[in-house]
Amino acid sequence: MGVISTSSRDAEARPVMARVPLVKAAVLGAVILLLVLLVVQPFGWVLFNSLHDDATGAWTLNNYARVVQSAELIEPLVNSLILAAATAVIAVGIGVPLAWLVSRTDLPLRRTIRVLTLTAFVTPSFIGATGWILLAAPNSGWLNTAWRWLAGEGAGTPLNIYSMAGAIFVCGIYTVPYSFTMVSSALDEMAVELEDAATTLGCGVLRTMASITIPLAAPAVIASFILSFIQGLTLFGVPAFLLTPTGIPVVTTKLAEFYQLFPPEIYLAAAYCMPLLLVTGALFWMRRRYLGRKQYVTISGKTRAGRQIRLGGWRWPALILALLVPLMSVFLPYAALLLVSLTRAWGQGLSWENLSLYWYWWAIFGNSETHTAIVNSLVYSTLGATLCVALGTLVAYIVERRLMVGASLLGAVATVPIVIPGIVLSVGFFAAYTRAPLNLYGTPLLLIAAFAATFLPIAYSHGGSILKGIGPELERAARSLGAGEARTFLSITLPLMGGGLVSGWFLVFIPIIRELSVAVFLITPKTNVMTTLIYNAKDGGNYEAVCAMSVLLLLITLFLVAVARPLAGLTGARRTSRKTATAAGVPS
Amino acid sequence: MSGIRITNLRKSFGSYTALRGIDLQVPNGTLLALLGPSGCGKSTTLQLLAGFETPTEGEIWADDVLLSSPRGVLPPERRGISLVFQNYAVWPHKTVAENVAFGLSIRRLPKAEIAERLTRALRTVRLESLRDRYPSELSGGQQQRVALARALVVEPSILLLDEPLSNLDAHLREEMRFEIRQVHDLLGITTVYVTHDQSEALVTADRIAVMQAGAVQQFGTPEDVFERPANAFVARFIGSNNELAGTGEGEGSIRIGDRVLTAPDRSGVARGGSVSLCVRPSKVRLDDDGGLSCNSLPGTIVRSAYLGEHRDVLVDIGEGRTIRAFVPPERRYGPGAVTTVHLPIDACQILAPSA
Repeated sequence: MGVISTSSRDAEARPVMARVPLVKAAVLGAVILLLVLLVVQPFGWVLFNSLHDDATGAWTLNNYARVVQSAELIEPLVNSLILAAATAVIAVGIGVPLAWLVSRTDLPLRRTIRVLTLTAFVTPSFIGATGWILLAAPNSGWLNTAWRWLAGEGAGTPLNIYSMAGAIFVCGIYTVPYSFTMVSSALDEMAVELEDAATTLGCGVLRTMASITIPLAAPAVIASFILSFIQGLTLFGVPAFLLTPTGIPVVTTKLAEFYQLFPPEIYLAAAYCMPLLLVTGALFWMRRRYLGRKQYVTISGKTRAGRQIRLGGWRWPALILALLVPLMSVFLPYAALLLVSLTRAWGQGLSWENLSLYWYWWAIFGNSETHTAIVNSLVYSTLGATLCVALGTLVAYIVERRLMVGASLLGAVATVPIVIPGIVLSVGFFAAYTRAPLNLYGTPLLLIAAFAATFLPIAYSHGGSILKGIGPELERAARSLGAGEARTFLSITLPLMGGGLVSGWFLVFIPIIRELSVAVFLITPKTNVMTTLIYNAKDGGNYEAVCAMSVLLLLITLFLVAVARPLAGLTGARRTSRKTATAAGVPS
Repeated sequence: MSGIRITNLRKSFGSYTALRGIDLQVPNGTLLALLGPSGCGKSTTLQLLAGFETPTEGEIWADDVLLSSPRGVLPPERRGISLVFQNYAVWPHKTVAENVAFGLSIRRLPKAEIAERLTRALRTVRLESLRDRYPSELSGGQQQRVALARALVVEPSILLLDEPLSNLDAHLREEMRFEIRQVHDLLGITTVYVTHDQSEALVTADRIAVMQAGAVQQFGTPEDVFERPANAFVARFIGSNNELAGTGEGEGSIRIGDRVLTAPDRSGVARGGSVSLCVRPSKVRLDDDGGLSCNSLPGTIVRSAYLGEHRDVLVDIGEGRTIRAFVPPERRYGPGAVTTVHLPIDACQILAPSA
């Protein structure tokens, strides 16, 4: 053992090389700064404003006192809770049986129903509401007209979409895809062996369902109920379209009202955000707590198709029921929007002379306002999604690889927007960036930042799950061969994330382009986007133009979904066959 | 190439202590195996050597360069230490050639030199014909050789192997361990090989450090650890072993229940302390007269299994104790048969439980 010289043992240990990694420090600094600007600051302003007086600007608890004491402000809260609960009941009541039919039985057209449900999933619900206004407005609604034609003039008008029932119906059918997707993927991933084990012990089909399948899917059902509830609580577009005209207020529309008052009661609005935040926060906390204890949710086995339950004579009745959902959420409203958008003047009725593409031409080229909104939507969504994915991925990387002390705090901050309803985030961004020193009002940057902040949790969790699939050894191997941290990230981690990042980008882009509520207080005529334009134009009476814009937005969204699905799986298809096996790693 | 010196190395994760102060000297060009059950601290030692963790206490030196101490750690990319992982960690988005050449391009070597060294490394691991394949098109053994070539091509001063064979099937594993030894003989790089498989360690290593509970139980040559285990844990972990717990009676004897047996005492435990008598099943004899130099005990056969090369017999020696014996296969024993167990004194050792 004479190789190691004794002199080195005696030499006082020199301080070990610890070069300050400049690139790393700069990136960490930028990430922290962005998180502060996008999440902490807007949220902080909501809190700050809620504690100040609108008139005098002094510290006060008066805003909260007004929220609690005024019946006029309690009523929207109650309405919101009713809407949310009913939405969740509909979503779960329809979505869960539908998921079971598609995942576990020999129902015909299962693929088609999946595709149609995905279509309903990406349809902005306020556009669905627009379609349903055409279908079921009192008197003029097509379904009412059809009813009168069938039952005689004196039959009256059974449907009134401008009502709580109408809003619940529309919220419900557009929330069904949430519960459907969550539960059907739980059923798809469930290990068939678990059910087979019960069958070999002598359980029949129904007994196996009752004692194995349903309990295993229960966490997904409950999680989807909570998510649907939050959806019903935080939706802005549907109540604004369907409830505001009849004077039924909910929290989100009431918030918008505060901004339309003169002078606007911005500080009261901030306080009014708090009950909403409290409920969404509590629900997410419940969901997390509940799912945290039910780790078997994701138990999955070998990927082989589950046993199909034969429906026998029930196949066709079941199919009719299963098709009712897409009929109401896709076919009918899409048809209504399409027809109106294709008529020169809707009032003149349906005729060949009246059919034209005029309003599409008008929206894209003829009218500078709509033209600007279309361009803005595309540009802001592209930039917003890029910023969102870049930031979310970096935060996920910092958290997954523990690159700094307190990394998990960054992750928590990036997740916070998930509990902040879009309309509240809009209030926050308005408060934070319409004053010096960062007055961004009227600039595209304000909307891009707000969009990025809204969907940061999606980008972050998506980035995290990609990174979990890439074993740290793949990076460590590069480090031990002489690559620094930045080089390792760029030449190993980033290319391995590749396909996943592309799908993550679409996952963020699609909700951004259809997002309405976060943009509502932030736009100016110059920075209008398609969703806000449709929202603001709906009262103008130009239904042909609104419908044309809606159809354009739908087409863009559906086109992107169609592009995104194959693209996400495409990158490096040849070489990925064993990637997961290699990259997932074996715990040592 | 350089030797490694580890002094009083400790590592805690929160309240959990993974390493409780280990000392190791690995001379230049040696292949050291870190052998132990999972959770013994061998992988932590490797992560510390590679520079991915900071020690809580102690130092790691490579010749006269301080690599790690609680005050700081030379980052992995500047250590000249290559690492081969259990799951190979071959980059799936790079071809075999791109994987192997990565470390060379990081070093900004001239193109011609990269090409030349790449070809040489691929030839060493017999992968020349697969250079343009992607890892997904390779078998596990081939991926493992890519990982080895990638680690060796940069001419590291130290090579670390983290359970490199445990993901391979049994047949390939046996073949690869000779291959690893062969590559080591060829290049002479100081190597640390982490494994939980005793036969892997015995075949490949010049030195073995047997680890358990964050401490080195024994550090010696393969012959040392097999034939002269430092304590009962080492005897149990390496090879088959009979262990009879008892109390030291002094002067090479041990009290087990109401019997006193004789054996060389290597425990270093004072009289009255708890010690174990250890003896390999292959040294145990049944029935035939063992002569004076044996501890002889009456027993009853519990079971007997025919293993082809020998017969594995379990004998009840009373008081709930059993002895395993490997006897020639032609001897037949039925359960319940009465026999005498002979433990040759010079094959027995009195050992402390563990360090």
